Amino acid sequence: MMASTDHIGQSHRRENALRHLAGRGRFVTDLALPRMVHAAFVRSPMAKGKIVELDVTAAAAAPGVVRVFTAETLNPICAPWTGTLDHFAGMKSAPQNMLAEGQVLWAGHPVAMILAHSRAEAEDACELVLLDIEDEDAVVDGDAALVEGTPLVSDGIASNLCYRTVLETPGLEEAFSNAAHVVEGRFTFGRHTAVTLEPRAVVADFDPSTGQLTVHHGTQTPYQFQDVYAHQFGLPDNKVRVIAPDVGGSFGMKLHVYNEEMAVVAASITLGRPVRFVADRLESFVSDVHARDHRVSARMAMDAQGTILAMDVDDMTQIGAFSTYPRTSVAEGNQVIRLMGAPYTMPDYRGRLSVVFQNKVQTSQYRAVGHPIACAVTEALVDRAAEQLDLDPIEIRARNLVADDAYPHVSATGYQFEKLSHHAALAKLRQMMGYETLREEQAALRKQGIYRGIGIASFVEITNPGAAFYGVGGARVSAQDGAIVRLTPSGEVHCAISVTEQGQGTETIIAQVVADQLGVTPDQVKVTTGDTDTTPSGGATWACRGAGIGGETALRAGRRLQAQILAIAGAVLQAEPATLALAEGAVIDRATGQERITLAEIGRIATYRPDTLPEGCDNSLTAVQHFAPTGYPFDFTNGIQASHVEVDIETGVTRLLKHWVVEDCGRIINPLLVDAQIRGGVVQGLGPAFFEECMYDDMGQMTNASLADYLVPMAGEMPDIEIAHIETPTLDTILGAKGVGEAGTAAAGAAAMNAVNDALRPMGARISQTPMTPLRILTALGHV
Amino acid sequence: MELKGSQTLAATPDQVWSALFDRAILEQAIPGCESLEQTSDTSFSAVVKLKIGPVSARFKGDVELSDIAPGLSCTLSGKGSGGIAGFAKGAARVTLTPQGAQTVLDYTADVAVGGKLAALGNRLIKATAQKLTGEFFANFDTALTCEETAPAA
Repeated sequence: MMASTDHIGQSHRRENALRHLAGRGRFVTDLALPRMVHAAFVRSPMAKGKIVELDVTAAAAAPGVVRVFTAETLNPICAPWTGTLDHFAGMKSAPQNMLAEGQVLWAGHPVAMILAHSRAEAEDACELVLLDIEDEDAVVDGDAALVEGTPLVSDGIASNLCYRTVLETPGLEEAFSNAAHVVEGRFTFGRHTAVTLEPRAVVADFDPSTGQLTVHHGTQTPYQFQDVYAHQFGLPDNKVRVIAPDVGGSFGMKLHVYNEEMAVVAASITLGRPVRFVADRLESFVSDVHARDHRVSARMAMDAQGTILAMDVDDMTQIGAFSTYPRTSVAEGNQVIRLMGAPYTMPDYRGRLSVVFQNKVQTSQYRAVGHPIACAVTEALVDRAAEQLDLDPIEIRARNLVADDAYPHVSATGYQFEKLSHHAALAKLRQMMGYETLREEQAALRKQGIYRGIGIASFVEITNPGAAFYGVGGARVSAQDGAIVRLTPSGEVHCAISVTEQGQGTETIIAQVVADQLGVTPDQVKVTTGDTDTTPSGGATWACRGAGIGGETALRAGRRLQAQILAIAGAVLQAEPATLALAEGAVIDRATGQERITLAEIGRIATYRPDTLPEGCDNSLTAVQHFAPTGYPFDFTNGIQASHVEVDIETGVTRLLKHWVVEDCGRIINPLLVDAQIRGGVVQGLGPAFFEECMYDDMGQMTNASLADYLVPMAGEMPDIEIAHIETPTLDTILGAKGVGEAGTAAAGAAAMNAVNDALRPMGARISQTPMTPLRILTALGHV
Repeated sequence: MELKGSQTLAATPDQVWSALFDRAILEQAIPGCESLEQTSDTSFSAVVKLKIGPVSARFKGDVELSDIAPGLSCTLSGKGSGGIAGFAKGAARVTLTPQGAQTVLDYTADVAVGGKLAALGNRLIKATAQKLTGEFFANFDTALTCEETAPAA
């Protein structure tokens, strides 16, 4: 091993945390450019209707207004986009454009854009727009949408069904007919949304003199947007620069194409001046993608010993008026039906998926796409089976989890697992939480009328995705990443990489990985991300890939530069490069560890005195490397979570007492940041389990679209979260790291639902709808 | 959203009834009313400025009276558009019952709101609607009393 491993595996604080704490963040929201105008949108107040009249004359004459656009004046410069992919055979969605054309399809649908010298003036002018909509009956419920005779969600579709598919193993029917026990359930998972600290923000700046479009965009996927803007507006992609500086939270919500961002770019191209849009909180609620919104009916077949034989699942997911572009709104449901039963040696399976349109905001990818639904349904049925067979929840899992030495393993849904560690995780969890003691305490407290519950949920997480996710379906979504690593003339290191930073610490772990390849400390490695002009093209941040794919890219780029440095050093020192290594900022003798020449000296010679190098010696101190995952289509991770709750059966209020996570993300690059990812993920899993829900009335109006009414989880409600690890590196890469960003979210809600139901068990009550609000718990108890 | 209430007014049902169709009285009584025009025997068109929580808007709308049983009951239905603030539409059934020299006015209204108004939550809107209704009847009562004491035109 040539590289030292001094920094990989160590806790390093997030490099940008100090800057953010010092108030020196650079968010798109903070950006002000000369001659910049501000955009505000007139939105449909109706969930569905025909635009009868749209008169912008008064708005155009309002103080400070620079320009008013309607569909007629703005849409022609942008090619419409359609959120379908080929590998979801038969899926349908209507083409979309920036402003509503003739028909409004959800409450919040942008109808007109006003540009003014300030956002306040633009908003004032919005009030002067005369918009007359003849309202039509909105389709607000997915089941109702599929009933014959229900009106279509939009004129652009022939059916309210976006997509339907079935996965089925040949032995399914037989498994159920031979089963000793069958448990079943019907589940409802509410809509919720990301509520990022910084709302969606974009400043587009088109320079007509050069044809250069620069878009400052609070996104996690700048290269994807470079491609989208180039294609939709007919620009060469090297004339499109997307810069994503500090991003105040993203979570999957900021990688979709939105009407407003496209409209801002279109307006800048038309006006030849910078245009800014930053969503306010009210419009975020009615224009950011929402998540989940599933109704699932499922049953599980067991033999007499409690061995899982099969699952049969039907998921109906409600996605709003359009499938999102370019990743579609089908990916969520697709992962729901493919992740069911994933931790278990379940041989047979049937999963049916119906993806349905309605007149609401789109739903689409959000942290842990599909995972929380698949996990909650599977784990709830496992607990019901345990109850029916009178088995302890830990025991039934121990009987069914895929054995740690049984890999590689292929799930009933076709996922290939390289190596997972479910049993080791279960054993560690049991010990960490003091399971037996908690059960004794639970029994004792029940006698005093205190109802505590313990819930457990095993999970599998999809990470390090290759092109199988989107690319094979025709999406221009990159599954590879690239890095440029260079040694500066003074012997410091710079790394420009395509994975991006939204506060999770990507730049910090990249610096650790690169540092170890070049024998320097992470603070000597400056990492640049998020700018399509200065970093190589890549996938950036989606589906858990920063550490696993970005880290491997950085490692390989670092090793390439290491070889270049050693070649130059060998030439200078007249030594075989193989006898040299890098450590502590210098080239050392591999055998003795003695310093031979510093990196600063190498930098100086190669930069200022290349004439002193021998003939033919390459003085390059820049290395470029791209990396695309090969081997398994995904590197799955695994883990297990437990939740301890107390339910007040008089008020229905649940107190979260404690949460445990045992997680195996392969090689851990930075334990501090891995734990931070898990904790944040758990909170984003508990939020929708207890608090977060986008509520709609029967006219398709969202009725709690403000932070006064929409509940986000606060620190005070959150339990302590204890975390432990198992490390099973993937052998697909040198680094061996897998993803961890979605592990917390994947199973937190499932563990919590099992815990609440465990608490309610003495009353014979059961809840299978999230969020588990006090009212729903009281309803389950029969109190209301 | 359902609103229900009852108001005792210091006038006879006939006086109340004619006041309900009296443009001038309604204009005084409707909170934030900027203009009110009678467009037919049974319809009005109004511009009303309202502030509901953080949303302030000028609503333009039409109100239609139907199912009229003179002196006893009628249904008011209407729709108002507040531009970007959203819209409100609904219907109210009003019945008058004499009680000595006074009149009890009962109303049941079914109101739906959309756009920003809906987004802000029914909680806020219901409280505001109740407050506005209270103001309306207070103003209406005052207008009725004034009319009684004022000399005949």
